[in-house]
Amino acid sequence: MLSEALLERLTATPLFAVALTLAAYLVAMALLKRLGRPPWLPAILLATVLLTGALVLTGVDYTAYQDGARWLTVLLGPATVALGMPLYQLLPRIRQLWRPLAVCLPVSAVMAIVYALGLAWLMGAPPEIIASLAAKSVTAPIAMGIAEQIGGNVSLLLGALLITGVAAIAFVSLVARLMDITDERLIGFALGVNGHALGTVRAFEIGPTAGAFASLGMSLTGIFTALLLPLAWQLLS
Amino acid sequence: MPALNGFLWLLLCWLAGELIVYYTGIPISSGVIGMLLLGGALAINGGVPDSVAAAAQPLIAMLAMLIMPGVTGVFFMIDELAGQWTAIMLSLVVGTLLSVFTTLWLLKRLMQDDHAE
Repeated sequence: MLSEALLERLTATPLFAVALTLAAYLVAMALLKRLGRPPWLPAILLATVLLTGALVLTGVDYTAYQDGARWLTVLLGPATVALGMPLYQLLPRIRQLWRPLAVCLPVSAVMAIVYALGLAWLMGAPPEIIASLAAKSVTAPIAMGIAEQIGGNVSLLLGALLITGVAAIAFVSLVARLMDITDERLIGFALGVNGHALGTVRAFEIGPTAGAFASLGMSLTGIFTALLLPLAWQLLS
Repeated sequence: MPALNGFLWLLLCWLAGELIVYYTGIPISSGVIGMLLLGGALAINGGVPDSVAAAAQPLIAMLAMLIMPGVTGVFFMIDELAGQWTAIMLSLVVGTLLSVFTTLWLLKRLMQDDHAE
């Protein structure tokens, strides 16, 4: 733990929070390279565990850290807009596959929400938690916008995203084996729709076709959910 | 300075998203609207200008780092959510299993129908 006076000085500017974040991220990346990138350990999980450890060790309060890190998180706006570029690059594939996509995407994206929220509701979870879990299958930058719209807790949502991504990676390979599916297109698409960015990273490890279909599934699920979920939420409550 | 030029385009799309949200009150985040505007603008342009690629690529590569401050928050909520963890974990894990099954089952049927035609 650092002394009170030193902490006060360090957290007076955003620089300390930014340096901690960059350091934790880069150390996590270097560690993962050494470990051979195991699929059950997403980079973001290791990076945030390291960051949490650093905050606890230095004695920086989370809210003070969050204030400083706002200097980084403000970039989420333009980074979300930047996703329009890969979306544009996917257009030819969307045109080519519009028929199965038009049926499967809305059903899958809606059911991903309905199953999770139904289960949470049955188990008596309070409304704020249910709102935080709603965007669990959507890629993080888009999901954060949705959670803010419907009144969920962004940190809980991001934790839910991590768990969902890891579960989707495990279940897609399990269910595909049980159903005797070997088509990379199907596996990739299921990874992207249900497992957002984590699933997409996994799909690229399987192969470029799986990766391309996962990107497609992830982008379309994100857009579909962002356009409809907040509206549905407003109408239902 | 192509990257700065491209960054300004990203900010302008985001700003347009903010204006649309402000004037229409639609419940969609300004970033998502900006993303759709950028995708549309690129489609009209018929390609990705180097400046936009130079700004967009590093930002997309940095996304994991940009969400780190938010994800870290969940570790500081563990006590606050005591008693809710079973419901949260179960709905996420079982919900994901069910939705993975639904997606694969639907896709298998749809893609087979495609072959049959």
